Formats: sequence, structure tokens, C-alpha cells
Amino acid sequence: MLEHGKTENNAPATTVTREITVVNQLGIHARPAAAFVKLANKFQSDITIEKDGERINGKSIMGLLMLGAAQGSKLTVIANGRDAEAAVHEIEELFARKFDEN
Amino acid sequence: MQQPSIPIVTVERFFLNHAEKLQLQLVAGGAGISNRILEGAVHRPGLALAGSYKYFAYKRVQAIGAAEFAFLKSLGEAEASKRIGQLLKSKIPCLVFARNNTPPPRMQEMANEYRVPLFKTKMITLRFINAATIALELDFAPHVSEQGSMVDILGIGVLIRGESGVGKSEAVLALLERGYSLVSDDVTRIRLLEGRELVGTSSETTRYHMEVRGLGIINVPAVFGVAAVRPEKRLDLVVTLMEWNKMEEVDRIGIDQQTYSVLGMSLPHVSIPVRPGRDIGRLIEVAALDQKLKSLGHYAALEFNERLIERMRTPKP
Repeated sequence: MLEHGKTENNAPATTVTREITVVNQLGIHARPAAAFVKLANKFQSDITIEKDGERINGKSIMGLLMLGAAQGSKLTVIANGRDAEAAVHEIEELFARKFDEN
Repeated sequence: MQQPSIPIVTVERFFLNHAEKLQLQLVAGGAGISNRILEGAVHRPGLALAGSYKYFAYKRVQAIGAAEFAFLKSLGEAEASKRIGQLLKSKIPCLVFARNNTPPPRMQEMANEYRVPLFKTKMITLRFINAATIALELDFAPHVSEQGSMVDILGIGVLIRGESGVGKSEAVLALLERGYSLVSDDVTRIRLLEGRELVGTSSETTRYHMEVRGLGIINVPAVFGVAAVRPEKRLDLVVTLMEWNKMEEVDRIGIDQQTYSVLGMSLPHVSIPVRPGRDIGRLIEVAALDQKLKSLGHYAALEFNERLIERMRTPKP
């Protein structure tokens, strides 16, 4: 999975995998999905989400909605690219902030 | 957006715009043709003729119907003229005799003297009042010119805004090709009817024409057929075309209805990012159809989300 020697800013491409639990009450419905995709699109890394064996592209709203990730679900976030570490870190924070929903 | 203009309606304008429809004929008092009509309504001055001027609605067009005319007649010539004189002195814009009644010569002289136009119409009073009220409503409707083209898409009036060169005309052409009709190109005149409905139209000079970069001015009905134009249309949706890179945030789900304000009315608003290769005409078409669905009470994004949340709430077996 690791890709070396393709970097411009000297940071090597890495793969970061993390398990994240959905904590907001309503789960990943349309608004959180939009917030997630907006954040994911800031990163150059490919972002993949896995739930119960199903893998989707983290930059696709319809994909995220398809997961039907309710409160308490466990998702595996896999980022691959130069900014993978930062991406996973910020995604984790977004989940912890409950997608900034009131 | 321009400041909405409060229209100044003179008797002359009222007469020129509606003389034919209201069958108006000037009898006397032509010197007062530039009098202003201050309220867009018609008043029957029965009480005033009887001598009561408290709360008299002098700002409106005054109509003398069969009842008033008969009353004046019953007073005798001298008294009737005195009463009419009083009415003419009270700053009314004009006086209309319905049912083709002709004001007696003495009244005509006074109308000239006080510079108040006297008209007569063949219409019966009730029909005249109804028609004149609608006509005045049009004359008094606040209006504004918006930068943008307007197209009628299956009954949904869509104003297409966007910076010069962003591709409005191309989008409009694509829509005309699909069989929809042009209301106005580039600048749309919008007026607010009865304080609740916005109606868009084009200026008469440019009506049914489009300016397309590289092609010049084209005659739309000549190119696309007469069904490709319509003189005016209720405005239902505003679409703003934006350069892809200038759009900070694109609404990806459409749960929150954006709005755009015209003459104090909020209209549904959709911003569409433009990029070479995107079929903007098609996107506008779908936006209009989705708006049509919403007007029928179906909010696709909202309903989808509610269903999803419900599904997530139900524990899986």
C-alpha cells in the first residue's frame, strides 16, 4: 500500500488506519455526511471508510449515506497519501465534535 | 440589485395605458392630465356629493356611476354643479362618468377651470371599477430590473443570474433547444403583484431577442419557433451560475433551502458551479423540476434524510 518516491513536499505517502465510533445521536445522516465529505475533500489522500465489510470512498456523499452508520457504529477509516496522518486526525476530531451539530 | 422604484402614476399614464381597455374618452379638463393618482384604487364619491368630506379618498380615481348621476340629477342643475365643483376642488386626480353618461356643459367648464380631467366610459360602473382597479394595480406595482435571463421551464419561471461571461446565454440556448421558452435575455424586469407574486418580463425594446457572444443578436421566435417565447411569467426560482473556483461552498445535499430576495419576497435559490463540460442547461432544467416537486410538497433531500435517520434508529435484527 505504501508508495514511495512520488512526493513533492518530501512527505512520503503513508497509509493510516483507525477505528472510529459514531457518537452523535442521529448517526451519519445527510448533514454529517456532507461535513465529512467537505473535510475529506480538503486532503489529497484517498480516504476509504469500511463498515461491516463494506468499503466506500470517503469523498462520496451517497457512499457515506449508504453505510447507514447509526450512533455506536464502528467505522474503519483508511487514509492513503502524503497527508494521511493529518486527514485521519481531523476526521477523528470531526467525529468527536459530533459533526458540529447542535 | 437595484433599488425598487415607486412608480409615479399620472392621469396621463393611466389614460395612455388603459384608455382602450377601459373605453375611456376625455370630455374636458385636459389641462390637468399630468395630475398624479396617489392611490391605486377607484372611489365612488357618493358621500362627498352628499356633502360629507371627512375621510374623503381624494387620492383615488373617482367614478360617477348610475346612482351618483341620478342623485346629481335629482338636485337640479345649479346644485349639482355646485356639488361637482366642490368635488373638483378637492385635489382629486380625475373623474370618470360610467355608463356613457355625459357630464353637463357647466361641469365640463368647471373641470377645465380646476384642471381636473373628466372622462366618460361606455362600461357599466361595476365593470369599470373592477377593470380600473386591476389596471391601477399593475401601474402601481413596485418593480425592479435584475441582471439575469429568464426562462419558463414547464411552468416554473426561472431567473438565471451570473457574472457576465459565465455562460448564461449558452444555458438559455440549451433550454430553448429543449423546448422551453424565453421570457427575457440578460435583464429581467420584475414587478410585485398584489404584494404576493413576482412577475418577470423583458423590456419591450429587447423582447424576444437574445445577444449571444460570437453570434450577435438573434431573433428567438424566428430561430426556435413562436413557442420559444412568452411575454411574461411568474418567477418561481432563482439560479445563480458561478465559476467553479469562486464558489466557496457547494451545497451537496440540498436540505437547507437557500433564498434570494426580490422586492422583499424570498424566492428559492440554487447556486450551480460552472465548469467546462458541465451541461448547465440540463442542470437548470433539473433544478426547475425539483422546484416543481417542492411546490407539490415533495422535498427529496429532506424526505431521504428522514427515512435514513429512521432506518438508523431501528435496531437491526
